[in-house]
Amino acid sequence: MAGIMVTLTAVVFPLHGGDVRAPSAVFNQIFEVFLLLGTAVGVVVVAYTMYHALKYRDDGSEEDPYADKVERPEMGEMPTGGTGGRKVFYSFSISAIIVVSLIAWTYSQLLYIEQGPDPAQEEALEIDVEGYRFGWDFIYPNGHTTNTLRVPQDRVVRLRVTSTDVFHNFGIPELRVKTDAVPGQHTSAWFTANETGTYTAKCYELCGSGHSLMTTEVIVMPQDEYENWYAETEGPTETETAANETGGGDHQIAPATVGGAPA
Amino acid sequence: MSQEHEHGLPPKSSVSRWFLTTNHKDIGVLYLITALFFLLFGGVLALLFRLELITSGADLLGSMGYNQAVSTHGLLMVFWFISPFAFGFANYLVPLQIGADDLAFPRLNALSYWLYLFSGILMGVSFFQGTTFAGGWTMYAPLNTPAYIPGEGLGATSVVLALIMFTAAVTLGSVNFLTTMYRMRAEGLRMRDIPIFSLSINLTVWMMLFAFAALLAALMILASDHILGTTYFQYSIDGTTMATDADNPGASLLWAHLFWFFGHPEVYIVFFPALGVMAECFQTFTGRRLVGRKWFIISMVLVALQSFVVWMHHMFLTGINLPIKTIFMATTIGISLPFDLMVFSLIYTMAKGRVRFTTPFLFSLGALILFIIGGITGVFLGAIVLDYQFRGTYWVVAHFHYVMVSGATALFGGLYYWYPKITGKMYNQTLGKIQFGVYFLGFNLLYFPMFLAWETPRRVFVYPEGLQIWHSMATVGGFVLGASFLIMFYNLFVSLWRGEDVGPNPWEYATSAEWAVSSPPALENFPGVPSYATGKLEFLDDETVAERTEGTPGAAAHGHAATDGGTATDGGAVTARAAATATAMEPAHEVGGEEHASHASFWPFLVSLAGFVTFLGLSGVRTGSVFYLSLATVGGIGTFGSLLGMTREPFHAPEMAIAERWPFERVEKMKLGMWTFLASDIVLFGAFIGSYAFVRVAYGWTAWHHDLIPAEHVTMPGLINTYLLLTSSFLVVIAMVAAERESKRGTVAALVGTFALGVGFLINKGLEWQHLFHIHTEAFPNGWNLSTNIASSTFYLTTGLHGAHVTIGLIICAYMTVRAWNGAYQGDDRAIEYFGLYWHFVDIVWLFLFPLFYIL
Amino acid sequence: MDWKGYTVIYVVLFAFATAQAVVEFTGLVDSAYWVAFALIMVLSVVKAVGVAAYYQHLRWEPRAVTYLVLGGTVAALALTGAAAYSIL
Ligand code: HEM
Ligand SMILES: [Cu+2]
Ligand SMILES: [Cu+2]
Repeated sequence: MAGIMVTLTAVVFPLHGGDVRAPSAVFNQIFEVFLLLGTAVGVVVVAYTMYHALKYRDDGSEEDPYADKVERPEMGEMPTGGTGGRKVFYSFSISAIIVVSLIAWTYSQLLYIEQGPDPAQEEALEIDVEGYRFGWDFIYPNGHTTNTLRVPQDRVVRLRVTSTDVFHNFGIPELRVKTDAVPGQHTSAWFTANETGTYTAKCYELCGSGHSLMTTEVIVMPQDEYENWYAETEGPTETETAANETGGGDHQIAPATVGGAPA
Repeated sequence: MSQEHEHGLPPKSSVSRWFLTTNHKDIGVLYLITALFFLLFGGVLALLFRLELITSGADLLGSMGYNQAVSTHGLLMVFWFISPFAFGFANYLVPLQIGADDLAFPRLNALSYWLYLFSGILMGVSFFQGTTFAGGWTMYAPLNTPAYIPGEGLGATSVVLALIMFTAAVTLGSVNFLTTMYRMRAEGLRMRDIPIFSLSINLTVWMMLFAFAALLAALMILASDHILGTTYFQYSIDGTTMATDADNPGASLLWAHLFWFFGHPEVYIVFFPALGVMAECFQTFTGRRLVGRKWFIISMVLVALQSFVVWMHHMFLTGINLPIKTIFMATTIGISLPFDLMVFSLIYTMAKGRVRFTTPFLFSLGALILFIIGGITGVFLGAIVLDYQFRGTYWVVAHFHYVMVSGATALFGGLYYWYPKITGKMYNQTLGKIQFGVYFLGFNLLYFPMFLAWETPRRVFVYPEGLQIWHSMATVGGFVLGASFLIMFYNLFVSLWRGEDVGPNPWEYATSAEWAVSSPPALENFPGVPSYATGKLEFLDDETVAERTEGTPGAAAHGHAATDGGTATDGGAVTARAAATATAMEPAHEVGGEEHASHASFWPFLVSLAGFVTFLGLSGVRTGSVFYLSLATVGGIGTFGSLLGMTREPFHAPEMAIAERWPFERVEKMKLGMWTFLASDIVLFGAFIGSYAFVRVAYGWTAWHHDLIPAEHVTMPGLINTYLLLTSSFLVVIAMVAAERESKRGTVAALVGTFALGVGFLINKGLEWQHLFHIHTEAFPNGWNLSTNIASSTFYLTTGLHGAHVTIGLIICAYMTVRAWNGAYQGDDRAIEYFGLYWHFVDIVWLFLFPLFYIL
Repeated sequence: MDWKGYTVIYVVLFAFATAQAVVEFTGLVDSAYWVAFALIMVLSVVKAVGVAAYYQHLRWEPRAVTYLVLGGTVAALALTGAAAYSIL
């Protein structure tokens, strides 16, 4: 009995999105580690460089303080290497280990971002996104099409992104989701938002005169509100008139009005 | 001074010298000055859009103005400033460092320069043709096609053509430098022994040879989409509706692949010369030999090779599959490791040194520090999860400016390093150091805040309020950086007159050969024949040389002068390639050993001028305007004529009497030049065929044939053409055999046969095309022409490029037939052999086009 | 190489070109596309190697020239192969 209840709620209100590790959490963690290590390595190496430059600066004395240790190059000699190569190797090995292990560590996280949370567990909301100059169409499973992306809180949202004219890139920076919108191709990306509120989606690939203004609202709503809103939207609707303010003298391509619901 | 030895070359004070000269040092100076001009051009554009960005919004330039400024800034800096600047040094110094008296083909070198200059002028002209290109320096498709360019879009077409012209210059330059470095090294200098700057140039030109060939393919295809109406980069044909089942779903990604296949090697092409300069300056100003030199070199070689297999790290978000992303993540991280090693090698070179903080050293040290920061931030981008968010943001902008402009920093160091060598004068060190201070401050004030404002999407003029402070800072930094150049220009300009005279070597511990000769060096560089046979630089006198070369069979070198010539073509995009091709045409004038090397020719300038007129005309022919049509016609005729003039001009560039030539000892320089050129041509055709394969895979490999190709497109014409070309190839080798046996009749007959078969090939192709253009079937009621669909585009353009190669070959063949008729080549079949290399290559290409476009 | 040798090569090349067309005329392209594809491409490669080795004399040049040519070829193949694979 309880099992059926759970399944039922899951169908109506798939709450699990809240437990899923959001892409933004993944990014923030990796970015922090990289920033920390990157800064540390940078500071150490630059300091080390400056240390060498200053320590061995020519103080103008006649005498060469290292005359007995190293040979000075002479005019017209055949180019050869200097002594001290072993240290190069040690330093190189240390840095190589840091770099390789860092990247290897991020790779497992990449697999998670690529595959998304286990689909059996998390029923994702699938939305088609179509970029055009200069705006976005969001097409819901029931065929409803809008220019504002509305999604429920705590639910995995899967975007299937393409473009109807030139190359764009769809990203919602606060939610750390981004993917190219390529004409003729489909790419996908997913995210989940734990906080309700209004976010901004932007275009990240130069697409013409209106590129800078090619932004749109992303509204994350509480689940019940979302359900109410969605219930009202049966079937395909008129594309809202928004976004498309800029056009300049550009050869304008009419945004595709998509008819039937895909899937 | 060697004024009396200048062999018909006017003195440096005369303007005409600079139009005539083919001397590598003069051309080096021309490159340096021209590149600095383009630095100003690109710099002013940058300051304009930095002003725009001081606050959010496009109140200064307007949105299209902003996009144009950003795009052309990138193109100018990457193509017209930084590499040519580096090649100014390369021109001046590589022959000096390896012990040669000039480049292998001095006239082609002049041609490279003039093509470069005129390509830049064409770029400038594009600003006056309505709007110039506004789609970003990466020129993503399909925004780069006329359908999405406001107005007539002629400016954008000019930019594409300017890039083609630039690429032609680069290709000629690569062939020239490679031939020089493999045929003209001082005795005793193995490849690994040449000074590190020259080595870095060697690896740079290797990358250029292949990478720019791929870019050329991309640009030729794009130009064809602009001018001829093919549809490679268009997703759907009619441009107003977008069907779900796209006509050409691979369009956008094709550009991305081609561009980045070039683009990633390009970033090392930009950086390697700078690395070479840094290493030279570190050695000299620390008084230490480069620590771990061998590993430094191995690292550079690894990077050069690997640079061709990392390009998809610019495409992580395009939907390419996970395995390929994984591979390219691994190669990207792999390629950062050799850089690690090089950085540490430079750092340890300072240990136990006598470090002198001169101006060039300050710039080199500064460059190293900037590069360390840029490299670390690059590793962030190599982690795909991070890259997903950094892509298209200021993080990328900040990263690549830290690395690329670090390269430029090193090159400015190079300018301060070699200025005394080039001018014979020393500049004011204090002013130089002040410039460095201002420069370094400006640089970091400009680019570091970009990391902090990384959430800003790139190429936008609208950004969130909170980031304003960083953008304002960056703008201030930009002006500080710009101002530092005023100090540099003032200092270097004034020192031309007021600077103290310097001797051969103003820098203690400098070792390479350029410092062993006067400043500036004499026209013929060295007081004798340079040799490292004893492990130290020596100059051999004529007598020793004569003794040494006697009885050596390889002494063919001695006294043989070769002409680097050009031939005429129809003046299309292939013009300059043809010039390189035609080096085969008139080699080896046998001249008496006493003949002097030539140093002057007016033809390179004329060829480039005519090429410029042609391209300017081509940019507007699609409008049908009489003005543009006549420009194209006049320019085409001019190009043809001046190439013919250049070919017929006697010009002597002797091979060195004694030289180190591993691994091409037995490959005469003209032949080596030809092979090198063909190697780049392989990549050009490879990229065309690769493009075909890619769009076909994207469409559906097997559905392609069924959906897009009419039944009238049959195998027979292709098969006949295969027979014709194979037979003509056979006749070329027969012509060789006949020339060897001194049978004039046989030679002429075989060449005439070759020519006739080639013409037959073209006629057959013409008939076939005519037929296909005019078919009326249910599937293709309006014929099957260039714009019908993506399959027709690939068919006509790829086989058309091949046809253009055949045409060029026929022109050369006709010229050679006339010469053979007049008795040339008897007993010396080399010229025919070199033409044959080209002709057989064209044949081989067809062997692949035939099955791919006719059978499969 | 003398003219006899060149002639032998020519005959072989001619025959191989014909063989490619025969593969098509027999209908193999329609019935077993990928078999025909492999067969025809192999024939092309063999012909190309023949022309390069004998007519362009690569056989008798220092190996370095061959490596130069291979370098260009490998670069082109890397581009073609990896790009096409990336969207499979
Ligand atoms: C230290 C090793 C380096 C690594 C791991 C690295 C990695 C990357 C990656 C992954 C990108 C793509 C970013 C994106 O668009 O999402 C990138 C962009 C770029 N890198 Fe690097 N990089 C390195 C060094 C360099 C060097 C030495 C240069 C040139 C001197 C350079 C020049 C560039 C340029 C020009 C771009 C941006 C191209 C564009 O989108 O306009 N990088 N780098
Ligand atoms: Cu955009
Ligand atoms: Cu790259």
